[in-house]
Amino acid sequence: MNRTLRRRDLLAGGLAYGLAGPSCSRRAGPPPRVSIIRAGTYEEDLTLKVLGILREHRIDVRGKRVVLKPNLVEFDPGRSINTHPAVVHAAFEAFRASGAAEVRIAEGPGHRRNTWELADAAGFPAAFRNFQSIFTDLNLDEVSRVALHRPFSRLSELYLPQTALGADLLVSLPKMKTHHWVGATLSMKNLFGLVPGSVYGWPKNVLHWAGIDECIADLHGVFPKHFCLVDGIVGMDGNGPIQGNQKTAGVLVAGDDAVAVDATCCRIMRLDPDKIGYLQLARSRSGTDLTNIRQIGESISSVQTAFELIPEWKALRLPATPGGLS
Amino acid sequence: MPELCGGVSTAELIASIGSAQNADGGWGYTGRSSWTEPTAFALLALSASGALSERSRQGFRWLARTERREGGWAPVPSVSESTWVTAPAVLALAETESAHNLQPAVDWLLRQTGEESTLVDRVRRVLLGTKMEVGEGTSGWPWLAGTAGWVMPTALTILALEKAQRRGHAAGTQKRVQQGREFLLARICDDGGWNYGASQALGYQAHSYPDTTGMALLALHGSSSPKVTAALAKAQEQVGLCRSAQTLCWLYMGLAAHGRRPSADTGNCRLDNPNLIDRALVLLARAAEQSRPSVWGAV
Repeated sequence: MNRTLRRRDLLAGGLAYGLAGPSCSRRAGPPPRVSIIRAGTYEEDLTLKVLGILREHRIDVRGKRVVLKPNLVEFDPGRSINTHPAVVHAAFEAFRASGAAEVRIAEGPGHRRNTWELADAAGFPAAFRNFQSIFTDLNLDEVSRVALHRPFSRLSELYLPQTALGADLLVSLPKMKTHHWVGATLSMKNLFGLVPGSVYGWPKNVLHWAGIDECIADLHGVFPKHFCLVDGIVGMDGNGPIQGNQKTAGVLVAGDDAVAVDATCCRIMRLDPDKIGYLQLARSRSGTDLTNIRQIGESISSVQTAFELIPEWKALRLPATPGGLS
Repeated sequence: MPELCGGVSTAELIASIGSAQNADGGWGYTGRSSWTEPTAFALLALSASGALSERSRQGFRWLARTERREGGWAPVPSVSESTWVTAPAVLALAETESAHNLQPAVDWLLRQTGEESTLVDRVRRVLLGTKMEVGEGTSGWPWLAGTAGWVMPTALTILALEKAQRRGHAAGTQKRVQQGREFLLARICDDGGWNYGASQALGYQAHSYPDTTGMALLALHGSSSPKVTAALAKAQEQVGLCRSAQTLCWLYMGLAAHGRRPSADTGNCRLDNPNLIDRALVLLARAAEQSRPSVWGAV
């Protein structure tokens, strides 16, 4: 990978935004709801758990077109890099059982040109019947131009895949991981996989040069109402998102407010969401109050586990909170 | 040695590429609108297979009329910017006998460079106090203008410039091709092959991939560098682990560019759910196998 943008650059970019970025728009209404559901292994009945989450969040997909966006990055049998196919399969079955007219799985990996080879190595064809018929390689999809409204980054437009743009419900299915450039990669960072390699290359380096945190927040602005289901059963810590170590958290985290879901995941990982650049940018637009998230299921304190951090990100460490944050 | 990606005949691949051609003369990744890269690779593959028909030649005309004013190509005409796909477009159009003036495209390619090697970015890094990573002093090609140089677009552009040079569009190409080769040599990973970009990030060693290793070897044809010798050994190791046609084909052509053949069994290679690029690459690799590698110009 090219290390073209340093954390110091990112911090400089964040400061520039603070001085000149879009104005804050506060959201009225009830606090966002985020589910934390224990799941010890991938062998459990995850479909049942996802069905419970969809009921809890009153997700009505009857007759709708649902696109599931897992995180497929690389394959290394010794590392937990990608969203586990069992979680994606559970979501697939749960949305179908909930009456969705169509459920597709779609991803555009950032490094590997051969998406099928990666999906195969990660175990996806083996987990699904006729995987080829339900999968779209977003890197090679037809695209439409999307103008970015008041962007945080220096991009004014993005070409995005029609499969994602045409979905009635986009579901981000990330892996819970630390990330060496932005601190943590969760629901919102997972949206980078929507940016097509056919236009932007492998990796999508234009997003790095335009500001990673800023581009994450801009993509969130394009897809503000996607549903999130985070695979935190076995995540990754240390030098994520590829070269880190397996880290068991034993949870699924879900909700329809990506800022709240990602902030909750950060707290589970004992990372301070107030120090994650893209969360600050996105919440300045969405108005999500990170101090007022309604946790459903487990409390944060009951599942909290410190994800190891590389030295550059030690300042993210959140003190353990015996009383819980929920 | 069994045929590369056996089970699908060359005639079947040619027919499937032919039937995927759009009415406007181009090809798409998924069969709908025409895109530059699949059109270029379809034409290269058909040409390498001696299977260009009057209808398929409409693809050359599609490429010629979609060239942008600045000399490059956009990935798809609806995108308003020339990008890395200019290199495959030049590779394909160089198959035609002076039917298209390649000089504007060559000039556009010569103007592109990885942003990290520009004076502006070097000054920026000095001001920010960021140290230079290994290999960042060399000049490759980016996917998009204003971004860093990467192995794949650099390898494709080297091949395109060399091929254009042989078609008489030589002005200024030699120096930049040499710079591109230095870029590739500076980015060899410790394991002998190539990652997509740098050989390390944040102080951690990056590992290599077979497709990038194959492409880089192809662009470094004729090099006697000991690094290339080590990379060839890595490529042979990677062949045995290949699962997809696309990846194997790049390795295959990279080895062929140095007069080598895979020493490992390629029977694991599959052509499942192939897209246009997969099918085209199999034809190109088979052509290389039969010593008809002129499409790359480098082999």
